[in-house]
Amino acid sequence: MGKKQTQQKILLPPDLPPEIPDDEVEYSDDDIKFVKENRAFASLLSTLDTQSITKHVTRVADAKDDVLEKLYEQRMQKNALKKEKEETGLQVDRVDALPVKTLDGKIYFRTATKTAAVNGPSEEETGEDDNVVKSLFKLTKAEKRAKLKKIRKEGKKQDKVVAKEEVEEAPQAAALAEVEEDLKVEEAFESKKFRLAELGNALLTDPESNIKGLKDMVQLSKDNDRTIVKLGLLSLLAVFRDIIPGYRIRLPTEKELEMKVSKTIRKMRFYESTLLSAYKAYLQRLIALEKQPLFQLVAVRCICSLLESNPHFNYRETLLDATVRNISSSNDAIRQLCCSTIKSLFTNEGKHGGEATVEAVRLISYQVKDHNCQLHPDSIEVFLSLSFDEDLGKSEKTDRDQKYKNKKDKKRKHMEGSNQLSENDRKKSRQESISKTREEVEADYKAASFTLDATEKRQMQTQTLSAVFEMYFRILKHTMQSIVARPEANLEVFSAAVGVEPHPLLDPCLKGLAKFAHLIDLDFLGDLMKHLKVLASGGRNLGNTSEKFPKCLTVSERLQCCIVAFKVMRTNLDALNVDLQDFTVHLYNLLLEYRPGRDQGEVLAEALKIMLCDDRQHDMQKAAAFIKRLTTLSLCVGSADSMAALVTVKHLLLKNIKCRNLLENDTGGGSVSGTIPKYLPYSTDPILSGALASVLWELSLLSKHYHPAISTMATGLSSMSTEQNQVFLSKSSPQLAFKDMSIDQELSFEQSGSIKLNNKKRRSNDKATSDTIGSTTVTSSFDEDDLQKKFSSHFMVLHEIKENERLRSKLNKTAQSLQLYEQYKKQKKKRSKPSK
Amino acid sequence: MRPLDETETSVVFEKLFKFVGNNLKNLIENPSHEGPDSTPGRYCFRLNKNKIYYCSESLVKRATNIARPNLVSLGTCIGKYTHGGNFHLTVQALNLLAANAKHKVWLKPQSEMSFLYGNHVLKSALGRITENIVAGDGVVVFNMADVPLGFGVAAKSTQDCRKLDPNGIVVLHQGDIGEYLRMEDEL
Repeated sequence: MGKKQTQQKILLPPDLPPEIPDDEVEYSDDDIKFVKENRAFASLLSTLDTQSITKHVTRVADAKDDVLEKLYEQRMQKNALKKEKEETGLQVDRVDALPVKTLDGKIYFRTATKTAAVNGPSEEETGEDDNVVKSLFKLTKAEKRAKLKKIRKEGKKQDKVVAKEEVEEAPQAAALAEVEEDLKVEEAFESKKFRLAELGNALLTDPESNIKGLKDMVQLSKDNDRTIVKLGLLSLLAVFRDIIPGYRIRLPTEKELEMKVSKTIRKMRFYESTLLSAYKAYLQRLIALEKQPLFQLVAVRCICSLLESNPHFNYRETLLDATVRNISSSNDAIRQLCCSTIKSLFTNEGKHGGEATVEAVRLISYQVKDHNCQLHPDSIEVFLSLSFDEDLGKSEKTDRDQKYKNKKDKKRKHMEGSNQLSENDRKKSRQESISKTREEVEADYKAASFTLDATEKRQMQTQTLSAVFEMYFRILKHTMQSIVARPEANLEVFSAAVGVEPHPLLDPCLKGLAKFAHLIDLDFLGDLMKHLKVLASGGRNLGNTSEKFPKCLTVSERLQCCIVAFKVMRTNLDALNVDLQDFTVHLYNLLLEYRPGRDQGEVLAEALKIMLCDDRQHDMQKAAAFIKRLTTLSLCVGSADSMAALVTVKHLLLKNIKCRNLLENDTGGGSVSGTIPKYLPYSTDPILSGALASVLWELSLLSKHYHPAISTMATGLSSMSTEQNQVFLSKSSPQLAFKDMSIDQELSFEQSGSIKLNNKKRRSNDKATSDTIGSTTVTSSFDEDDLQKKFSSHFMVLHEIKENERLRSKLNKTAQSLQLYEQYKKQKKKRSKPSK
Repeated sequence: MRPLDETETSVVFEKLFKFVGNNLKNLIENPSHEGPDSTPGRYCFRLNKNKIYYCSESLVKRATNIARPNLVSLGTCIGKYTHGGNFHLTVQALNLLAANAKHKVWLKPQSEMSFLYGNHVLKSALGRITENIVAGDGVVVFNMADVPLGFGVAAKSTQDCRKLDPNGIVVLHQGDIGEYLRMEDEL
């Protein structure tokens, strides 16, 4: 319908603003003064722009009959007639000059008003000018109108031009028609755009009265043109974000509709129902478009920002559903949008009271279940921004106690009551009624005030937590199953499966477990540790078959499993100090598999920190085994990793005084060596490796390390046994050491790079200076020539040798054949002689 | 002195397996550097007068020179057959078990004494405990300085230990180094 209107309008002269009555217009003394003073300037402008002004004035005259205006109008009409008589082409040119000069609508508008003001006391225009100053909304409207005018004028002008051309050149009619069509399409596009803007503006200024515009906008967004659809969606988004109320709309029931209500309430109901229906239509449109690849990004952006700004409003479920569906999209932009939306949902729980959190977590866990744990890790990482109350577990206990107490109290009360019952029955009934009303009032208050009850909140958090942990366990189990299933499968199937089944979710899952470890129920703990143990072993326990296959979990993932196990145990101590021997064994074996380039050094440093430095007690044998293996490791890894390892060694040596026997220079370990008399470097169990029987000869090698920090560290370590009374105060963690050293490394790399560059420069400089004759380029070319000559001569020699060999072999062959021939001849002669 | 027969071997190995698990392999394959041979021999189990001994092969060879009634002991005594025909580990096996123990319990310093007098290990005495002990497993008891004190049988799993009250029994006493003084004559 918008299209039709605009097409009709093109034929008519454009209307002037109707909401500015002439009477209202007042222009200040300053204005008049200004005009009077700058008459020359004004006249200059007027000569430039008579055409538009005449138009304005004629239009005004058509619209309103004012006595004051009439005089003016007649004069202007005369002017217009004159101009029309003169020349149409020139007219067009003059008008055309305006938009070219001022491309922006704003500037165009200002010039128009100025000219109007200049032209004398043209009242409505000056009035408009004043209005512009008064309010911002009017300015935008005026702007838009100006734009519209401009475009229509252009359209007209072009039409005129086209018409002219048609008259002049008949054979080109078809092409011209095409051009015309294109122009029309463009025109329609522009008009739709403006209509969208107009509707949106109207809605924003006064949503209650213009609520019907929403439907039009939704209709517009169903256009065939892609850009129009996108624009429509985005403008609708802006409108909805602004006008959606801070409460959930509940449509009135039929009973309520039947009841008589006041005018305002009816209006309100109408407003709400239209808003809701338009919102619903908009959402349906969005959901439909979200499936088309062309509109996906726009639709998802709309959905996400709607969900982010109004998580409390109706149809939240559809929004959440769509968001979660796209959370592991392959498109980076979409995925990030969704993830940030979900994160903001988690962090701003006050907006929706926690319900959306529960729903989102559930939906994501379903998603994980449906996709068989093959999702993008981002989709699970959002859980890291969840927050739970610290006393989630404890408060339940106190609550139970309270309940218990209440029961007791009640019992006591009951006893007392039974005593009093006989005395005053009436009093009691009155009290009861009072308490009842009080309860009712409280319930009403609770419903009215949006604050959540503590118990409700806790319930919601428990639901969320259980959903999160259920999902984490599912992921763990899934990875475990994939590991266990491996050895059973055939070799070909297996090799195919290696690429197909990675564990993208394991890493964020482990992170999440570590973060929420303190909230895990003790009953789950056993299962969790069992899973982690299997994962950390990487399927090694399943027998020798797994040795043939590559390990399906990377070293860093397995290290992370160990870290999580330790963290979980530490946070759930409950006064029981549990020794995680199996995990330390895994760590001991993983140290051998660690490759500095492939695996993450940070993870190793963290594991060393948590498993070796923070743990208070160690077996002497175990500590010695770790010391030995870590020093061996530090020989063959980069400086950062080896620094982390050495720091750990230092910690261990400080704690275990007996292990300093390793620093002595005699093998066998003396009295502490235990039952194993010889060091077994490939033993899988640190306790049985017999490391105390060995000597830390690695330290003397490390003291000659190229990195100064490591060499000083190594010498410090080796002098530890002789200076036993000294107190070692260094308490830096391996993580810190690793970080420092990796930063150092980067710096030193840069430095070394620059040094190399310098060397190169120096070398070239040397050449230049030594080669006094000719420039450097000549020398280089000379070098190349020389090289080429030498190479060619070399190849020539080689070639000649080969050729010689070949010829010689040929000669031999011919000589042989000659000999044979001669022998044959002799034999023939011999045969012929006896025959004769 | 004679080698164990099949039933005796299985009984002894099952008992040891409760304590050392898969490390039982280490017990048997442990190379012995005794005797004149340059190649290390093995350790083996021998029965002499109801007692089971753990000794190196070279020692067994030399012990054959002594008549059976005259031979009092050889190698390390690790256990004995009771009158009822059951096999019991004795304290002397402690060093062997401690080196290969799978399940360990560390005692707090103040409760070491109680254990060395032959009492069970209570929850309140626990300084540390290995993870995933199951009720019925053999457990080696250490003090906090990692000195083996004795061994016993787990009465509760690690998980159950968490919820146990401080006076609950965690490890049932079987042997401790206090026996060297208390039962000097019997050993």
